[in-house]
Amino acid sequence: MAIIGDIVLFLLTGLIHWWWTANLSVFGVAPNIIFTAALSAAIIARPAKAIAWCFFLGVYLDLLGSNLFGAYALTYTVMAYVIYMMKRHLDLIGPFSQIIAALTLTLVTMLFYQGLSLALSKINPLQLKAFLVEPFFNAVLAPIVFYFFVQLKKRFNLL
Amino acid sequence: MNREKDMANYAVVFFVFISALLLLFPSTRVAQTARVIASYSLYPSLHYGAKYDYFIRNVPENFLNILKIDQENRSLTARIKELEISNKAAESVQEENRRLTAEMGLSRNVPLRGVWARVVNKNPQDWYGAFFINKGARDGITMNSTVVGFENGRAGLAGRVFEVYPDISKVLLITNGVSSVICSLPGANFEGLAEGRGTWLLKVNYIPEGSDIAEGMELVTSPGGLLFPQGLPVGRVQKVHPKESFMNFITADVAPAITINALKEVYIVKKDLPPGLQGAAAK
Repeated sequence: MAIIGDIVLFLLTGLIHWWWTANLSVFGVAPNIIFTAALSAAIIARPAKAIAWCFFLGVYLDLLGSNLFGAYALTYTVMAYVIYMMKRHLDLIGPFSQIIAALTLTLVTMLFYQGLSLALSKINPLQLKAFLVEPFFNAVLAPIVFYFFVQLKKRFNLL
Repeated sequence: MNREKDMANYAVVFFVFISALLLLFPSTRVAQTARVIASYSLYPSLHYGAKYDYFIRNVPENFLNILKIDQENRSLTARIKELEISNKAAESVQEENRRLTAEMGLSRNVPLRGVWARVVNKNPQDWYGAFFINKGARDGITMNSTVVGFENGRAGLAGRVFEVYPDISKVLLITNGVSSVICSLPGANFEGLAEGRGTWLLKVNYIPEGSDIAEGMELVTSPGGLLFPQGLPVGRVQKVHPKESFMNFITADVAPAITINALKEVYIVKKDLPPGLQGAAAK
């Protein structure tokens, strides 16, 4: 039953991300809801499940994009593992630490994705305005998505 | 704890391996087509700049043609909407052009010197009372200049200028409750006073009893009037009211010669009143 709930939550996350980027972009920049969902799932879920969640969220982003297929999947998988390692040393439950984590990890994942793309397909996917603005959008949204996911875990035992 | 750590390590190795497979091996025809379908369904755009060739690699040409046709359809639909708006604007301009051409032709037949002006502001609370025109003192408009309108190939008296500013003027319409025009029937030997009532009809008073006025007759400005040039159509008699026993005059309802509240352009007649009479006219 929980797996169905996870699938529904995954599809809902994807749907909200698509709707927001298609309709609420500001000068072509919108918060990366998939990223904030991956970050929250990585903090809340058990390690193996968190890594699987992040991998599939990355595949979803790869499906939507026009760039290297599998690059987001790899990036978010590695991010989930890094968060698992961080959790052992840092408290990521508080909103402030989530904001800092979202800010830094957005930049790191963007650069990681950029490196993969340049190395494997010689395509430069990074847009300067997204690089400058998106980390702040994600940082604002991360605690909200985290709170929402925590409530889902408490009530429906998802994640 | 160790078991959890092991699970995490196995999971990350497994998914990194899968990701690497996706990255390193070129997408198959079917997988790439499925990706394009998913991507295009959510973001229907093929404008990926330098990444376009990479995006459509391994995708069958027939399928790409369908996407291109969809793009063409979207752009043509948008173009049709733009053209519909443009067409409406062109129709409006054409209609204005036709109207202005007709009015300009008519104004040449009016033996009066004047300037054209556009009606720029009407007050809904004073619909039959007054409106502003876009010509003022700088264009030679003076107080009490006669305002003529045109409709269906005919000229008609609309009112007179009663406030003049540098670039705009206010016109007192003949339908205004304080307006009155001395008028007469061509060929008849009586005059009446057409007074506005704040509605679309005028009321003509002081027609002598026994005058041969009847419904359908046209009233024109009288030579006896000081303000308006003589012979301008004022309106057509709609109804003649029977004489009341205590009155010596009869009255009539008159529909203005032009539809006052539909005027878009008017012709301002420059009438040079003798200096001594200008003050009297203003009163």
